[in-house]
Amino acid sequence: MSNFTTQKKWFDGAIRGLLLNPVNIALALLLVVLAYLVLWPFFQLVLETLTWGEGDRRLSRDAVPGEFTWFHWLQATASPIAGKMLYGPLINTLITGIIATIIALSAGGILAWCVVRSDMPGKGWLQPILTLPYIIPSFAIALAWETVFRSPKVGGQPGLYESFLGVAPPEWISYGTVPISITLAIHYFPFAYLLVAGALATIDSQMEESALISGAGKLTILRRITFPVVAPAFVAAFILTFGKTIGQFALPFLLGAPVQFHTVATMVYANLALGLDSLAFVLAVILIVISLVSIWLSNRFVGKKSSRFETIGGKGFRSREVALGQWRWPVFLTVALFAFIVGILPLILLAVQSVMLIDGFFGLENLTWHFWTGGSNPDIAFGEPGVFHNNNIIGATWNTLKLASISAVIASVIGLIIAYIVVRKADNPLAQALDQIAFIPFLFPTIAFGAMYLTLFAEPVGPIPALYGTFSLLVLISVVSRLPYSVKTGVTAVTQIGKELEEAAEVAGASWSQRFRRIVMPLASAGLTSGMMVSFVGVMRELSLIILLITPSTRVLMTAGFGYAEEGLTQLSNALVLIVAILTILGELILWWIGKGRMARLREKLD
Amino acid sequence: MANIIIRNLTKKYGSAIALNNVSLEIDSGEFLVLLGPSGCGKTTLLRCLAGLETPDEGEIIIGDTVMFSSLDKIMTPPGKRDLGMVFQSYALWPHMTVRDNVKFGLDVLKTPANISKETLDNVLLNLGMDQLADRYPSELSGGQQQRVALARLLATKPPVFLMDEPLSNLDARLRMDMRVELKRFQSDAGATTVYVTHDQTEAMTMSTRVVVMKDGQIQQVAAPGDLYHQPSNTFVADFIGMPRINLITLSADKSDKSIYINDDMSIDIGWVPGVDEIVLGAHPEDLVVSKKITSSSEEYSVTAVLPNGPETIIQLTRGKTVVIARVAHDSTYSVGESVYVNYTTSALNVYDAKSGLIIESN
Repeated sequence: MSNFTTQKKWFDGAIRGLLLNPVNIALALLLVVLAYLVLWPFFQLVLETLTWGEGDRRLSRDAVPGEFTWFHWLQATASPIAGKMLYGPLINTLITGIIATIIALSAGGILAWCVVRSDMPGKGWLQPILTLPYIIPSFAIALAWETVFRSPKVGGQPGLYESFLGVAPPEWISYGTVPISITLAIHYFPFAYLLVAGALATIDSQMEESALISGAGKLTILRRITFPVVAPAFVAAFILTFGKTIGQFALPFLLGAPVQFHTVATMVYANLALGLDSLAFVLAVILIVISLVSIWLSNRFVGKKSSRFETIGGKGFRSREVALGQWRWPVFLTVALFAFIVGILPLILLAVQSVMLIDGFFGLENLTWHFWTGGSNPDIAFGEPGVFHNNNIIGATWNTLKLASISAVIASVIGLIIAYIVVRKADNPLAQALDQIAFIPFLFPTIAFGAMYLTLFAEPVGPIPALYGTFSLLVLISVVSRLPYSVKTGVTAVTQIGKELEEAAEVAGASWSQRFRRIVMPLASAGLTSGMMVSFVGVMRELSLIILLITPSTRVLMTAGFGYAEEGLTQLSNALVLIVAILTILGELILWWIGKGRMARLREKLD
Repeated sequence: MANIIIRNLTKKYGSAIALNNVSLEIDSGEFLVLLGPSGCGKTTLLRCLAGLETPDEGEIIIGDTVMFSSLDKIMTPPGKRDLGMVFQSYALWPHMTVRDNVKFGLDVLKTPANISKETLDNVLLNLGMDQLADRYPSELSGGQQQRVALARLLATKPPVFLMDEPLSNLDARLRMDMRVELKRFQSDAGATTVYVTHDQTEAMTMSTRVVVMKDGQIQQVAAPGDLYHQPSNTFVADFIGMPRINLITLSADKSDKSIYINDDMSIDIGWVPGVDEIVLGAHPEDLVVSKKITSSSEEYSVTAVLPNGPETIIQLTRGKTVVIARVAHDSTYSVGESVYVNYTTSALNVYDAKSGLIIESN
């Protein structure tokens, strides 16, 4: 009997010890909060598609709000409108995604080889320009495309192409599959480029040299040695790039919607605009499923093949550049021209467009600073004042900076705390669960993630108020969507801090908070800062994630720019996107400047 | 200052037992070395003492205070145990200067500024680190880093020092010098010291007593000399000594109970162990090697000659039996030569082949 009581006391004591440990408290708290912010919204979204809503009364006589139904799924997959709602957009999504990925990967792969393995001149400054299209918002590239190829057939002013050649471009160049695929490819080739460059950098050139000694020619070596070794990275890059393209919203919307060309992502937006919420949510779920399948495939492929191709050796590793010989300068010129067209030209086009009084009319007398510095003039742009006098835009700029900085700081600090728990409690299954949950937002196409939060925070639930329409909701979704990256950055930072460093402080008598403040934080600060900058830039150029959650009072630059583009006020939307592009480039420069930034970016892309 | 009592300590990691019912008493001011192969539990025992690991069962008492007790539900956190520790990696905080590293412990203890400064200056001066006080750890050599770790330990004057292989990252020469210094600081401070190592020379030269561990259990606790001359079982015998002890398995001869034989040899150990099979422990210096035949000697052939400074190690073979002998450096043996060997029976240890435990000769 006494034995039982002592055991019980021991148990109580152990429980109390566990509960009082601040790390355990943080673990429990984060688990609950993240489960609510990551897992629950997904169930809520699925649940929503399986329930009659208030708005469904006008669609079906059987509708009983709150009751279970397959109606929405049947409507999406088997009704007369299924072709227009689901199958058409689905096919469009897959086709544009696959074409874009093939182009992005070919371009990215060739460029990666030129930069990493060949003796092409000018690598140092070409590399940052080549990554520009991925740094600026994808939306900017679509706008630049429109500037050139806009066709008056769908209304509005003619583009550069028509102004110079006198004939309208064929519609398939202006809108639909071709421009969407190409602009997606332009936006994502740097992503593929970084993935392949990472793999190429690990090739030991002794492998190639031994083939050379065997008498193989340069092309044979490339085909038989280099390519097979990087093949797994290639496949992974293919699937990851494809997974990214399908979540894109603004770009296909801008280049597709004018001719009723829809992808699944734009259909989510269009349905919500029409009040067909549940149908939009069905499409969002389908988008998530495609994304999950592609990530699963990529993990499966890389997991199986990568160890076989493990090429990072400790000893004797050498990387030798391949001499291009007489092709050196032609290759350089081609790459430089390409870099200029995809990296710099779009920004120039946007800038030029933003100083034209009547867009599409190319002449010196048409140039004006009105859209930047002008006041309200009822004759121009429905009386919208220029950027520097436009309260709408100034408010959006302020909101953008506020959103990006607050989210970046919160995401990085929470990311560091999660990383700390994950690394230091590696044997605790709950800590591993926390790690997994924090990674899940990576798997959600951003527009679908936005749709989830729309369903979750539309109405108050228990103590949680209806956050829809508030700035807090934007911060919340931005922070959660950045967590997969900030946790990875944090894990790298914490792993580098040896456990003994903390134990030494523990033996000296330092409490957990003293240790976290005086040992962990200072040592992780370099990683933390660059992580913050990456998040800052990432949040600033985000559109798909928050487009569904924005209200006039919480508008940011990207959504304001998108709004102007929808209204046909091209100059203003160009100006705004240009501002975002310049801010993100500045952010990237700061990152570059703090040195480790480049590595942090690379990590974000590789993980 | 403080003695340490460990009672029935057990620590498991899942199904793996790191410490199995370990009991040990350490006297105040003692320099105790925990010695054993990797994975024997020596580091786990040290970390349990520090409070960095929570044992599953048992009791730890330092001085007059119970620091851990599974029965009384006591688990004092490391900072409250009043001890200092040197880690294998030194665990110097890379973002703090030498001075700040040493000062950290004083800060945490809220030592008044004037006392803190005085202590700091003294410790740094004493270790010859006063000139380097404003450097960062990455700007120091391995030996200097080691000194900072030591300074950090000494600054708060704890009555107990814990050291986890502190010299293993130094090169051989520096290690020799630091052994002497460590020993000096330890005796000056009079602190009870528990020192983990897998290097037996370190254990033998520095300790007052050595604890040999294997598979989470204590094999033997003894003064260095006793450990060498009277290892209590075949594991310890085999583990201690360079070159290794010769362990020869022999069976009792039917006719005489003090004579044991195998296919190659027969030996009269001079007393009656009383078991059928024994393992004979013969240190290399217990073999008397001669080029001439002597009474009761047996013939071996030389199969390897390894000169080693003041002595020469030779390998001898007779049938399937291979033994090592230590001979004078000026001996002139060559491979293939026949020699005659006598065993110094008084120095031999006899172990029960079944249990591996030593059998005392009355």
